[in-house]
Amino acid sequence: MRTFRALLGALLALAIVAAVPSSASAQADARIHLIHGIPDTDVDVAAGGENVFTNFSFSDTQDLSSLAGATLEDLQVKLAGTDTVALDAGDVTLPSSGNTTILAHLDEDGTPTLSVFDNDDSNVAAGQGRLIVRHTAAAPRVDIKANGNVAFANVPNGAQGAVDLAAGTISAEVVPAGADTPVVIGPADLPIVEGEALIVYAVGSLADDSLTVLTETITGLHSTPTRVNTGNSPIDNGSNGLALVALAGAAALALGTGARRRFATVGA
Amino acid sequence: MHLIPRVLLPLALIASACGGGDQVQAADGADVSTPAAPAVSTSTTPQPQPTLAVAPGEAALSPLASQIVALPSAGGVPEVRTSRVPVGMSFEAIGLSTAPIDPVGVLPNGEMEIPGAKRVGWYSFGASPGEPGSAVLAAHIAFDGERGAFRYLADSTAGDRFSVTFSDGSTSTYEIVERAQYDKDELPFDRVFERTGDPVITLISCGGQFQPTQASYQDNIVAYAVPV
Repeated sequence: MRTFRALLGALLALAIVAAVPSSASAQADARIHLIHGIPDTDVDVAAGGENVFTNFSFSDTQDLSSLAGATLEDLQVKLAGTDTVALDAGDVTLPSSGNTTILAHLDEDGTPTLSVFDNDDSNVAAGQGRLIVRHTAAAPRVDIKANGNVAFANVPNGAQGAVDLAAGTISAEVVPAGADTPVVIGPADLPIVEGEALIVYAVGSLADDSLTVLTETITGLHSTPTRVNTGNSPIDNGSNGLALVALAGAAALALGTGARRRFATVGA
Repeated sequence: MHLIPRVLLPLALIASACGGGDQVQAADGADVSTPAAPAVSTSTTPQPQPTLAVAPGEAALSPLASQIVALPSAGGVPEVRTSRVPVGMSFEAIGLSTAPIDPVGVLPNGEMEIPGAKRVGWYSFGASPGEPGSAVLAAHIAFDGERGAFRYLADSTAGDRFSVTFSDGSTSTYEIVERAQYDKDELPFDRVFERTGDPVITLISCGGQFQPTQASYQDNIVAYAVPV
């Protein structure tokens, strides 16, 4: 019944007591997410010989940002409710800064593993979003197609690719490298949202017919337009005076190529 | 069942982030060196299978960028996040009886997209009027020889009011609180396109000297308004 959140509270209390006040304890910039990417495998996570959270299930996420820079000693992942160690990670030091996702997933051979991904959270250009794809499934190399064309070719387990795109929708599918069929994942519509990064994980096992995708979103990556150009021809007279509103219609009629040239001369 | 794992928090909170690797001061005073990447350290003690594999995106792939293009939404109009879409506005004090509002985004060169002379563009990646952040409504001062919808924005003053109608048929009124003129290079982009904070409606047009060689004006006229 213990929740990890409660435990985090206890840990933080401890940290506040013990941390050197002037040290770089402010890790506000760090974002660390832990994602469970192994289908059909509920686990308990233990550190220092004690469970820190239990019944962590496929697609569950834990926000570990508040533990940035800390070391989790003797980190073990056990099958839920048992002492069977599925993954023995030893001492794990969490990053002290940056944007990180730690993903529990299967390697190409189907063995549980942890991968640490440094997420590109740099700003995208105005009007764009970022697509990041990661092959983290028990499957051979794949091609990742976008709108019917190969976008990322010959991707091995553990690898990733990224691209910034105009906001819109991508239809994505995953096929064995160099082949058109079978489509092992998708096709799926992926929303490319302006100012956000969409991270797509291929997870599961080809052999177990459990391939699927998990997605993660990073927001707040927007930029501003570079310029606001709201006029390409001279105004209808040399003044901004509101008193001239009544004349504006007539002046507009007079505006033509010739008029524009004349004003251009005046303005130069 | 009390649980504070004894060694969980080594108080490794003194980290210097310069150069290749971080030095982490452990609680017992020992220096623990961690590599810059990957940031997960594995146990030095040999472990039975399975072991921790660290794969920090070992092979960052180059996308075949020419082959991956997001499908634009219908008509090239960006997806709209709000449920309250502005569709028209009226600002009598600057001689604008009524003008339709179009949702717009950015041009390929990064500039804000602006509709035709008699229309107003709403930057639909940002806030809708009345929502947190700055709702940007921009229109021409003059376009292709036509007087623009915001021809007289420079004549607006604090206290002037304008109204915006929305797709749900509702209307809201806003009041100018500040007007400014900036060289276009010095437009306060972060303020103008702010995504959070108190609702502000930011009207933008052009002004200052017309530069015929660039078919453009030197300055931006900006009027900031708040909900009434």
